[in-house]
Amino acid sequence: MSESILVFIALNAIFAYSFYAVLVAGQLSLGQAGFAALGGFTAAALAPAPSDLGELPALLVGIVIGMVVGALAAVVLGLPTMHLRGVFLAIATLGFAEAVRILLINAEWTGGANGMSVPKVVTPAIAWTCLALVAYWFWRQGPTSYGRALAAIREDELAARAMGVDVGRHRLSAFVTAGAVAGLYGVLWAYYVRLLAPEDFSFTTAIDGLVMAVVGGSTVWIGPLLGAAFMTSVPEILRAVGVEAGWIRPFISSALLLVVIIFLPGGLASLLPRLRVKAPAGAMEDERPVDRGSSRKLVGPGEPVVRVSGGSKDYGGVHAVRDVDLTVASGEVVGLIGPNGAGKTTLVNLISGLVPPSSGSFDVLGTTPGRTAVHKVAQAGVSRTFQHSKLFPRLSALENVLVGAHVVSRPTFLRRLVWLPGARRDEARVVAHAARCLDRVGLADRSGEDAGSLSYGDQRRLEIARALAAEPSLLILDEPAAGMNHVEAGALSELIGSLAAEGLTILLIEHNVGMVMRTCDRIVVLNFGEVIAAGTPEEIIEDPAVVEAYLGGDAPPPGHESEEVR
Amino acid sequence: MQQLLNGLFLGSIYALFAIGFTLVFGILDRLNLAHPAVFAAAAFVGIELVTVGGLSIWVALPLVAVFGAVLGLVIERVVFRPLKDRPDAHFAGLIGSIGLGGMFIALLLWRYGPDTRRFPVDAFPSTAFEIGGARVTLLQVAILVISVVLMAGLTWLVARSRLGRAMRAVAENPRAATVLGLDVNRVTATTFALSSALGAVAGALFAMNVNSAQLGMGSAIELKGLAVIIVGGMGSLPGALVGGLILGLAEVFAVQYVGSSWRDLVAFGLLFLLLIVRPQGLFGSRRVREV
Repeated sequence: MSESILVFIALNAIFAYSFYAVLVAGQLSLGQAGFAALGGFTAAALAPAPSDLGELPALLVGIVIGMVVGALAAVVLGLPTMHLRGVFLAIATLGFAEAVRILLINAEWTGGANGMSVPKVVTPAIAWTCLALVAYWFWRQGPTSYGRALAAIREDELAARAMGVDVGRHRLSAFVTAGAVAGLYGVLWAYYVRLLAPEDFSFTTAIDGLVMAVVGGSTVWIGPLLGAAFMTSVPEILRAVGVEAGWIRPFISSALLLVVIIFLPGGLASLLPRLRVKAPAGAMEDERPVDRGSSRKLVGPGEPVVRVSGGSKDYGGVHAVRDVDLTVASGEVVGLIGPNGAGKTTLVNLISGLVPPSSGSFDVLGTTPGRTAVHKVAQAGVSRTFQHSKLFPRLSALENVLVGAHVVSRPTFLRRLVWLPGARRDEARVVAHAARCLDRVGLADRSGEDAGSLSYGDQRRLEIARALAAEPSLLILDEPAAGMNHVEAGALSELIGSLAAEGLTILLIEHNVGMVMRTCDRIVVLNFGEVIAAGTPEEIIEDPAVVEAYLGGDAPPPGHESEEVR
Repeated sequence: MQQLLNGLFLGSIYALFAIGFTLVFGILDRLNLAHPAVFAAAAFVGIELVTVGGLSIWVALPLVAVFGAVLGLVIERVVFRPLKDRPDAHFAGLIGSIGLGGMFIALLLWRYGPDTRRFPVDAFPSTAFEIGGARVTLLQVAILVISVVLMAGLTWLVARSRLGRAMRAVAENPRAATVLGLDVNRVTATTFALSSALGAVAGALFAMNVNSAQLGMGSAIELKGLAVIIVGGMGSLPGALVGGLILGLAEVFAVQYVGSSWRDLVAFGLLFLLLIVRPQGLFGSRRVREV
């Protein structure tokens, strides 16, 4: 293999990593070519000449300049665009990259369309060292609370928010990482090709980088490296085996791309055996508690955890929740029942901050849901399950629970980069904690399976384990027994009973009235968005308004489900 | 005045290209990046039909549309149908269609070689008139009329016809559409066929307008097509029309007043600003993701 192929594989892999950096968080950005161009040109213009400083020092200065410029450009571009999703983000960033390219073509200091002459300094050893460092970074990033939070955002942004992940900050930091890595690529490219031209960073370049990342596998750290090696060497191999130039080579390259995409869903990396975080044997004996974080307000027994007064939510003309007063005291188990479309889910969405109220005052553990960001409400100690499971389907059961433990785990990524033993201890502690939560719901032997492949009942229990992992001060369960058979529901009822017995504050929405009667201290009944009764189970069962709502008279119109959480 | 008209003609081709893009995006929520390859392929096939087949341009254009529709069916069958149930269908479809588009371009290279091709000089009568002091060729008028008629027809089809209703049902909720007895695969395939037929006609018209066809002509217009559907609003058909015209006018005037090297910056600057201020585009209704 020739020297240039080796260098190009390394450079392409680094560029592919700049796409991987955001793809792991589910963001599609095409602005990397712009970051690379800015980084490369600025470094080439500002860094001292290799003849003055020596080749390697000059390159290092250039790399620092390029990475800083790339990262800064990512901040500048990221701040206004981070609220965009999917193709909108892709096209906005693409517009940025094109604008950068046109500016560089028209600028004086870059040599315009002719380009800039840069000394060739990069050797295969330098290129592969840089690649190794980048790959190392992403390898260490994967199994940390930061890496898992990014994966959670990719899988289900809303659920990640509800687990206390600050989505905006994580997305921006992934974007800035992409900018720095792309800047590195730009500098290495500049110091290898001798003549640096704005056309080197066109739309096609960006698409090539994206293709390499996806073909290699955009969820596994080794993926971009495999993709770059594959896509870079295929044309060379075709040439070596004597396929003539012309149409056949691009045809085969394109066809291979299509084949990989269709037949290897996880990219080339899925051909490798996948190492999964597993709960080590005996992990659960590690009884050291997790860190609940100092920001959390401690609530004494009997003090109010939730205070809602006059809470209302309208959707157009529909009053989903109307003038509701609700107080939940610490240690209480409160049941929320009512016919379909009564506004139960809307009410817990208001309490967990997922939807802003139309009016009324909400105080949950010292936060104001609706005005306080969702992840801050979660960090204050509110943890919930969803009526329709919102798990992270491509993460394992254990990883799902580990994301749930996000608010109680310490950041370990930077310490993992330098192998500090404390990081390993902290990770082991969180894994042990997560394993206990899985065991608690009876899923200990399923920890390595993908959440998406679990049975329906197991998924519901996994969601409870994930919510428990946050060590919540208030646990909200939205129809946990929905779709379970009576054996499973019985086991679930016992679990909730044992949680309640430990003094956990629980708000339980459930249609299984028997379960609610057994486990709840107090029951609130909603109908048409209003509280029609509240009291102990005994009082509720006697209440004529409740009997009326459930059995008699005018049944509520169905089809109000659209306002509820899916 | 001359500039205004030139912008209008250029913009109508952009719009015709973009409307195929946006049709697939609006209904199926997929970005089909093989569309530019269809655009280029149609130009070459159109030229061959006229030069080698000796057909009149009025016969060649419908044939090009049919050719495009066939390519659309191939794209749907080969790339998008196998991928539709994947969790990453969006990325995978995008990349898969890049792959298939690359194959189309490679086949063009095989059949036509790397050189630029042109329609014969007498393919279209070179009649020209004066409108308000501006010179307009019959060709330009024909391009504008064909584009507008096709787009109006498509808009009518989606809004009023039975097929259009089925398409909108699939856009809203494919599963519910299946339950209601719609053949979702067929509706999807038809959408791709329509989209590619429009892209193909746009390619042939573009080749006539600039009097050349190159293998790279698709990638050159691809970015503009993306800009147009963003400006107009993703999935909005009237938006693509207005967006195309805006972009055509903006480019022509940018060349006039700022200089040709800055032309694309104007387009992308506008695009970028619009995305930040109004991400749903001029005509798009933002799809609110339910909690």
